[in-house]
Amino acid sequence: MHVSMIELKAALRRCFEATGYYVGNYEDAANMILWLEKHGLKGLDELQRALPYIGEDSSKPLSTVIYEDSTSAIIDSNGRSALNCIAASVDLAHAKALENGIATVTVHNCHNRMFILKALTDCGRRGISVTAYWQNGNQTVTEHTAAIKAGERYPSYSEAVTNLSVNDQDKQALTIICSSRVDLTSSLQQSKGNRNACYISAEQIRLNKEYSVDFGIDIDENLWAEINRIGAGVLVENNERSRQGAGGR
Amino acid sequence: MTTSAAIQAALRGDNALPLRPVNQVMDLERLGALHQSRLSFMRTLVRRIMRERWQIEPVRFELDPQGYGTVIYEITTPNKCYSFVLFSDYLSPDERNDRVIATKWDLTMALVDGQVDDIYLEKLRQNVPKQEAGRVDARVFVLSRANRSARNFDYVVDQLARGKQPDVAQIARVGYLYRTTAVYGSGKLGMADWEKVSTRHPDFNRPFAAEMFVCLMLRNFSLLQAEHIAQHRAPESYNPMKPEIKRFFGIGNSTGLGMAPYLINHPLLINQWVEMRELALARVRVLGNINKRITQQFPELLERCAIHTEQTVTEDEWQTNNNRQVLEDLKAIRVYTAKGIDSWDTLLKWSEQHCSLQGQEMLVSILLELYPELVDELEDYHTAEEFLDLDPVMPLQQLKQVIEDRYQWALSYDFDTEGAKDTFWYRSEEKMEPRLGNAREEDGKDKQMALGVGYAVRKCYDQLCDYIAEYPQHSTARFMVAQPKLRGIVRRIQSMNRCIYGDIQANLLDRDILPMHLLRAKLAFFGVGKFDPRSKLWVRNTMFQGAPLLEDIGNTFNDDWFMPLAPAQQGDL
Repeated sequence: MHVSMIELKAALRRCFEATGYYVGNYEDAANMILWLEKHGLKGLDELQRALPYIGEDSSKPLSTVIYEDSTSAIIDSNGRSALNCIAASVDLAHAKALENGIATVTVHNCHNRMFILKALTDCGRRGISVTAYWQNGNQTVTEHTAAIKAGERYPSYSEAVTNLSVNDQDKQALTIICSSRVDLTSSLQQSKGNRNACYISAEQIRLNKEYSVDFGIDIDENLWAEINRIGAGVLVENNERSRQGAGGR
Repeated sequence: MTTSAAIQAALRGDNALPLRPVNQVMDLERLGALHQSRLSFMRTLVRRIMRERWQIEPVRFELDPQGYGTVIYEITTPNKCYSFVLFSDYLSPDERNDRVIATKWDLTMALVDGQVDDIYLEKLRQNVPKQEAGRVDARVFVLSRANRSARNFDYVVDQLARGKQPDVAQIARVGYLYRTTAVYGSGKLGMADWEKVSTRHPDFNRPFAAEMFVCLMLRNFSLLQAEHIAQHRAPESYNPMKPEIKRFFGIGNSTGLGMAPYLINHPLLINQWVEMRELALARVRVLGNINKRITQQFPELLERCAIHTEQTVTEDEWQTNNNRQVLEDLKAIRVYTAKGIDSWDTLLKWSEQHCSLQGQEMLVSILLELYPELVDELEDYHTAEEFLDLDPVMPLQQLKQVIEDRYQWALSYDFDTEGAKDTFWYRSEEKMEPRLGNAREEDGKDKQMALGVGYAVRKCYDQLCDYIAEYPQHSTARFMVAQPKLRGIVRRIQSMNRCIYGDIQANLLDRDILPMHLLRAKLAFFGVGKFDPRSKLWVRNTMFQGAPLLEDIGNTFNDDWFMPLAPAQQGDL
């Protein structure tokens, strides 16, 4: 079915609010998903994979900084979804880059890392260049990178299927490099064994957005129903007394 | 023509104009005392239509003698062509309900990009009359509905059918034939998002311009329909309505709580509207030359505003007292300025000592009215990019200082006093209608909307102070990793600190909060008049009363429909 971007965003906000996300986090989560979908990067597919688990994060520990110096940090996200923790990691890299010119933050135990693209784009808009790299997959390992230049509105994104074997050290890890001095770009190397490689330029991502602005977004009816079913958790039961609370006569 | 740079220089820095202070302007009670002005969105829309001489013609007019059927107007602007599509259906009196939860209406309508062919019209016919229960696509950018003011409508039709004119005194009591009960835009129900409207449709690229336009079209259709029915009922005795009486008809509006969360959830946008209004006032205060024309026009406007206020009918005791006070204020201003006006600055300062808030704000609107050359160009600066960005590098000591400087109103509030957190705002499962609850007596507080900005700031400040004691050198980014629950409020505090005016200063959780003030503030920016509160939760008002008619487009236009007055009536034709 067809929905507008604002409808999707509002439904996602309710969905994450009902799931127990905090003020600020549920807006971030909704924006991250919408951003990917709006820019042609399959945010709703990523959400579909994340949705069965989003309620579990409330019982997990918050992200913890396990190492930090002036230009780097290592954060353990304790198995949380990027939807509720990656923005803070990018912010930390952003702050360190502003103070020292360039900074690296490595995040461990973080799911759904594709959602970093929105946070990364926000940095670019605000004059900071960022690049991110991560691998994904239990059997087949894929690798991903995205980057945005300072002052730009759109990042580039690359992904490929590799013949790498799963490395427990790298599992659910993500590296963020942020700079206020250097414009960072990224693309995957033509590594031996990489296949189905694709590179989406910042210009193509911009064009994808223009299409979404013109025509809105198509969403699977079942997914839409599920988002709204979860989001209904923020609604309060209707009764005569509550009708008075709307000024009803 | 002004520029963004000129506006910034006037708002900030060594050469800034003297703006009214934040604590004065953002006080909720004052915001709830605002009136329409020449920067209101209805005024700016009508100026654009009249200057650009939009061509608006009915291309399909299929109404039966009772006024039911389908009408399409085509609107040709210098940029594009649009269609205003309207469905008029029978509605029994017992089905007529102005609440959001209603499911049927007298009129339903849509504003559509481009021309509408039969196939698309059928698609609209299947969905537009259903409103929230229907779906449209991104060609549609406004959807609305309206109910008849049955007594007024029938009276006007009867009068016209009998060859008479409506009694102006009656119109002064209820100045409309229809009330619109919701105007949806910006992506609701599958429509075009604001991002599309603002970038693809330059004719409607100002906030709520398209929504206001639909209300203007509805107002004009309501007059056309009344004449159509009267003419078919009694073709021999029928007489059309006089244009000056027609212009005194506006469109009614019922606004409820739904508008209130908007003001809290769009703080950067609301700040922008306030900044432009205050900048306009500062320009007048400093640059407004008091010459012969002005000394003549000023008392005329005082008189007009007084008559307009006298002609405002409300059963609400609070509003009646406010209106009475405004009349006294206007009289006092007249006396004070009878021997001349030294400067607007002197008068404004005097008004702050001697007039009610509504009187003071009426004076502000009058002053803006006097200087279109200083005010009107600011109409192009009412949009804002709504990014509530975190400033990750801000040291925590600085964040603490920002809160102390910008949110003193919140810190000085005692949230432990009885009633300080008794109100909660929530969405009902009934059409997600926003409602207010009493936290002591009703369930649902755990699902409340995050509108208690003042309380959130207080909690943030307390936790921040504890954290600083342990980690005095940390940055905001580091604080956010440790305290992710505070992300929303910290981001808001930092973003609003970048604004001149910032957040509305009120504890929305207080037992005695008056949502009416929020509604009135937004409606004043829209440009409505004749505020008629029906409770502290919803208000009736009139839109576009006094505005030009469609048939006036292309004729001379003096943009002088501020605080419209009932036309003099000298007997029927």
